[in-house]
Amino acid sequence: MSEAKIGVKRPRGKARLIEGRCIACGGRCESACPVDAVEMSGSGEPEIVASKCIGCVKCVKVCPAQALEVVFTDEEKRILERLATESGADAEVDPEAQALADKLAAYRGVWVFVEQTEGEPARVSWELMGKGRELADTLGVPLSAVVVGSHVEELCYHSFCYGADQAYLVDEPVFRHYRTEAYLKAVCRLIENYKPEIVLMGATGLGRDLAGAVATVVGTGLTADCTGLGIDDRRNLMQTRPAFGGNIMATIMCDKFRPQMATVRPHVMPLPERVEGKSGPVIRVASGVVEEEILTKVLAVVSDRNKDHVDVAGAEFIVSGGRGMMGKENFVLLQELADELGGVVGASRSAVDAGWMPHERQVGQTGKTVRPKIYIACGISGAIQHLVGMQDSDLIIAINRDPDAPIFEVAHLGIIGDLFQVVPALTERLRNMKQKAPEDAICSNG
Amino acid sequence: MLVVVCIKQVPDTTQVQIDPVTNTLVREGIPFIVNPYDTHALEEALRLKDRFGFRVAAISMGPPNAEATLKKALALGVDEAILLSDRVFGGADTLATSRVLSEAIDRLNRQEQVGIVICGKQTIDGDTAQVGPGIATRLGYTQLTLVDRIEKFDPFQGRITVRRKLEGRHETVEAPLPVLLTVVRELNRPRYPTVPMRLESEQATVQVWSNQELQLDQNGIGLKGSPTWVSRIFSPQREKGEIVGDGAADPAGAAHLLVDKLVSRDLLVV
Amino acid sequence: MSPNPKLFAVLLLLSASAFVIGCYRRFSLVALGRPEDRLDAPGTRFSRMLRLAFGQQRVLGKPFGMNHFVIFWSFIILAAANAEFLVSGLAPQVSLAALPVPLQHALLFLFDLVSMAALVCVLVAFARRLFFAEPSLSSDYVKARSPEAFLILSLIALLMLAYFGLHAARIAAGIEDPAAMPVSAFIAANLVAPLAIDPATLAVWSWWLHALALLSFLAYLPQSKHMHILTAIPNCFLAGLERPNTQPREEFTRGGRFGAGRVDEFTWKDLFDSFSCTECGRCQDACPAAGTGKSLNPRSVIHALKTNLLANGASLRAGDAPPQPLIAASETGAGAGEGSAAENAIWACTTCGACMSVCPVLIEHMPKIVKMRRHLVQMKASFPEELATFFENVEARSNPWGIAPTERTKWHANLQVRPFEQGKTEYLLYVGCAGAYDARQKQVTVALAAILDAAGVSWGTLGKDERCCGDSLRRLGNEYVFDRTARDNVSLLAERGVKKIVTQCPHCFSTLKNDYRQYGMDLDVMHHSELIAGLLASGQLELKQRVADLGRLLFHDSCYLGRHNDVYDAPRQALTAATGSAPAEFARNAERSFCCGAGGGRMWQEEQEGERINLNRVKEALQQEPDTICVSCPYCLTMMEDGLKDLQGGSVRVKDLAEVVVEGLRA
Repeated sequence: MSEAKIGVKRPRGKARLIEGRCIACGGRCESACPVDAVEMSGSGEPEIVASKCIGCVKCVKVCPAQALEVVFTDEEKRILERLATESGADAEVDPEAQALADKLAAYRGVWVFVEQTEGEPARVSWELMGKGRELADTLGVPLSAVVVGSHVEELCYHSFCYGADQAYLVDEPVFRHYRTEAYLKAVCRLIENYKPEIVLMGATGLGRDLAGAVATVVGTGLTADCTGLGIDDRRNLMQTRPAFGGNIMATIMCDKFRPQMATVRPHVMPLPERVEGKSGPVIRVASGVVEEEILTKVLAVVSDRNKDHVDVAGAEFIVSGGRGMMGKENFVLLQELADELGGVVGASRSAVDAGWMPHERQVGQTGKTVRPKIYIACGISGAIQHLVGMQDSDLIIAINRDPDAPIFEVAHLGIIGDLFQVVPALTERLRNMKQKAPEDAICSNG
Repeated sequence: MLVVVCIKQVPDTTQVQIDPVTNTLVREGIPFIVNPYDTHALEEALRLKDRFGFRVAAISMGPPNAEATLKKALALGVDEAILLSDRVFGGADTLATSRVLSEAIDRLNRQEQVGIVICGKQTIDGDTAQVGPGIATRLGYTQLTLVDRIEKFDPFQGRITVRRKLEGRHETVEAPLPVLLTVVRELNRPRYPTVPMRLESEQATVQVWSNQELQLDQNGIGLKGSPTWVSRIFSPQREKGEIVGDGAADPAGAAHLLVDKLVSRDLLVV
Repeated sequence: MSPNPKLFAVLLLLSASAFVIGCYRRFSLVALGRPEDRLDAPGTRFSRMLRLAFGQQRVLGKPFGMNHFVIFWSFIILAAANAEFLVSGLAPQVSLAALPVPLQHALLFLFDLVSMAALVCVLVAFARRLFFAEPSLSSDYVKARSPEAFLILSLIALLMLAYFGLHAARIAAGIEDPAAMPVSAFIAANLVAPLAIDPATLAVWSWWLHALALLSFLAYLPQSKHMHILTAIPNCFLAGLERPNTQPREEFTRGGRFGAGRVDEFTWKDLFDSFSCTECGRCQDACPAAGTGKSLNPRSVIHALKTNLLANGASLRAGDAPPQPLIAASETGAGAGEGSAAENAIWACTTCGACMSVCPVLIEHMPKIVKMRRHLVQMKASFPEELATFFENVEARSNPWGIAPTERTKWHANLQVRPFEQGKTEYLLYVGCAGAYDARQKQVTVALAAILDAAGVSWGTLGKDERCCGDSLRRLGNEYVFDRTARDNVSLLAERGVKKIVTQCPHCFSTLKNDYRQYGMDLDVMHHSELIAGLLASGQLELKQRVADLGRLLFHDSCYLGRHNDVYDAPRQALTAATGSAPAEFARNAERSFCCGAGGGRMWQEEQEGERINLNRVKEALQQEPDTICVSCPYCLTMMEDGLKDLQGGSVRVKDLAEVVVEGLRA
């Protein structure tokens, strides 16, 4: 017994790749290895040089795919078993970990950046307010709205109605239009002064523009397009997001830096119920930004609503018609539905070939590739040449009489029926709903 | 003036999937391609070259085999291609990546003044859209994201006017050089390489810069300089197609059901 | 014999000079072309020349073909008479009269009758151009070229009339024996004598008329389309022996120029072709693009080559840049005109090969179009916008739609796709991109698999390792990417130990079988129609029932199966065996079949000009009142189905022949 204690060093084993698990993440294991024992193969998989490996398990810990393990020889296993029976593990207090914990503890609170364009709030901000509320409650900290703009105080009160406890308000003329430099300075100053632990923004054009810049200045982690947010047992934010074009999901951690920043795409989180008449403290902060320092000038902001040119490739809602439309005149039905959705009308090759729609509306192999939020295919059978142009749409709805049409294989939702009855019914339903809720148009304002 | 275009070699994500049985990533035989958004950035840089005679440098951070990506850029006509490759760069998240790229651009700037940096709006493997803003912020360049048209460019005045494509609106913005643009697909149609250019690029050499050249603090780059890390991967739940209602017998009913579904999934805002 | 040998000698010298200079001017231009070996397999070439040039095989295939046949042979026979005429014109002592009398009489008899036949045929040709003009003869282009045709016909007629005048005069004068020359004797008896024409005067006038007609013809010949009199026969000898769809390989070395963007980037044989064109218009009539109102007209392409060569010849010989461009951006834009081909015409070709299969002098139109495409794609990166997606998809993911290669094996939900195992599996089933990815064609793959299984054929696939064969790449002129694809595929097939391949796509079939031979691959490649027909004939595949519920079957020939590979019978045999009766035929069938419109990479382009080719073909189909149109190609399947939907073809359906045969396996 005492022999073992004196003579046997605790074996540390060697790292080994578990066949088939590596995702070629870019060599995290290689970077983590302190003794250069990990070499990357041409296919991006690690090859561990056993003679160099010291069994420190740094590569094992850093692997996102749990593709590495430490193995022991039989001899080593026996020694380990013996050691395990001899003594329980000594609880060590790591001074490094303690310092980190102290650093992180300085940051408290959940923030939601309230995005606005000319005073008009983006719906995604309220969606985030709902999620932020949940996170703040779990952490036991207040939820704050961050409102930056010109004449935007009102948004603070909206924030309270959607769940914020308090609001930071930067309200100056220089913030009338969004410009990265100005907003960046304002938000960074807030973070520096008030130290939140979590900052959420909408994954919109504006939100992503700002978040990337802020995270760089603050020097913290930012996770884009999260679809799930939660808190682990050590107060860290677990950020789940799609990667590789949505083919896999990954949970991202930022456990050594604060604030933990994340953006979330519109319509991912549910909109919380608005509770009228709520209020809270508004903390006014001066930005210190002067107009003269800002080099960028916004010359024009043009809404896409009223423009003549129809951009199928960039549209968020597309109602497309195919041969089943039977004639040019019937595309009016699709236009009416598209108008209700705030979208545009597309077409399959056959509809374009037939002269019912111009070529710039064509979706497919020889037309445009689209990726709208909703794609409604009406009277389109789903020939491969069409499918390749629209199959990456977030949501595909097919309306077709033929239940065997290939379009139903890619559709998320389908109606088997006569489009000449279904489409007008959809339009009417949307119109009725809009009339019931006149203040909010039925559209995406993502 | 030097135009720098940042490109990335990415796995062809249409081919990435998780094995339903073993729940591991099926990676065998997945080819690498040039990030599609970056091809538009490259095209725009080459158009500036065609119009104004600027020199174009393409830079990419990645493993040694990312050289292929830069060769493609050479085939299309860039003047200089630099691969930033070093094991200490590996495992980087967007923050650490932008540090390496901005340092490389700064180094290029010391040889020839950089006027414009162009990036794709995001990569298809990461989809973060963070590296562009990261580089701009570090370099102190004006950041103009989601550009779908260059409205005006006056290299003598050193000013550029671009149109940005945002949700439901377009914004026209003017800024002084140097600027960093991130570009969307609508900006242009990338050119196709001619065979003489392809053959020429087979001979052309890609410069490789390691951290020997960049001399960055190792704590700020690669894995160590990355605040975020992936703790877990898993397969997304695939939505099965669903037939809504009985469209043949009751088209209006089916239509109502469909709208209700969309509203309940928060896809339509009422 | 000559009235004035000295004067005649001068005229002959002038005419011969014009002829020689004209010929030299043209043939020396041919030497500007790139080298190419066209003298291999002389035996094959010679027999083909006999059949097509001397036998006039393709000429006879058309109405009035016999007319040309007679004129052709008259020319050959009368060449002797005219040679004698020229020689005796210079040296009167040398003439037929020096021959023994029986032989002399025999020759005169022959010349007399042949001259009469030629005269009749020339008159018929006049009548045809004036009163029975076919569509190809009524185009603006032909109208512009018609005066030349009439001039030549007139010269020939004059030659014959003068011949009769001369000999009638001699008979009347008692110099020649009327018994030897029935036609001349008839004229002498019925015209010369009753009209009291002085035989001596008639003889002199006729002689000079004959001489002038002959010398004018000689002088004018090189300038006209009748140059083909000289070039057609050698052209039939020199024509390519390769399948018409197999374009030559290109060597990709730095500093090279690829494809043909200038006339001197064609081979000498391409240039020789342009001087061989008879402007008969058969290619134009057969061409699906020309026939549906597109800019492409194969005859104009050949004519453009000739015109361009003549216009640029001097500059090219001097080593200068050619002033007249070969390819014009559009039909009306800069550089457009007689001597150039418009880009949209070049892209309109379906490479169906119909033009080449009807050309009486074996001109190779399609490879020239592909060479110009090669130039546009490889040197200028200029092509219809839609093709950018296609090229990128094939290069990055080796299929036209850019779908993940891992999806290749998913053509059957239940069937475990079998891998090809070296030494164990007999046939590699080359599924093809359409067979693997296209929902409709997947049904054909499934049917084919069921047939193979029922017949106990051992088969396997390459699974996700299968790649695009590269057919469209090559036809579209993207030879560089095709070259790499072909190399990869050839080495993959060799590595897997494949010996026999069965395909369901005639394009894969032809590419693997013919194009890959240039890469040293020589495997046993079969189209599924051949394999199925064989299995049915040998009894290895036994059907459980006669296929009856598909109604009246109409068979459509695929260009790449039929015209390009001569597989006409196998699909018909398979269908006959399955249904118990031969399928109905299109008006244009077998080697005259009309393209569906998708070959040559047309599948991946828009068709905006003129009538859509598939509609033209479907209309033709509907005339036969079929219940089922039976095809043997994924492109045809798509194009026919689309066309039927557009024309609201009612209950008419389209089936691949494998889908027809598999019906017979149902119990």
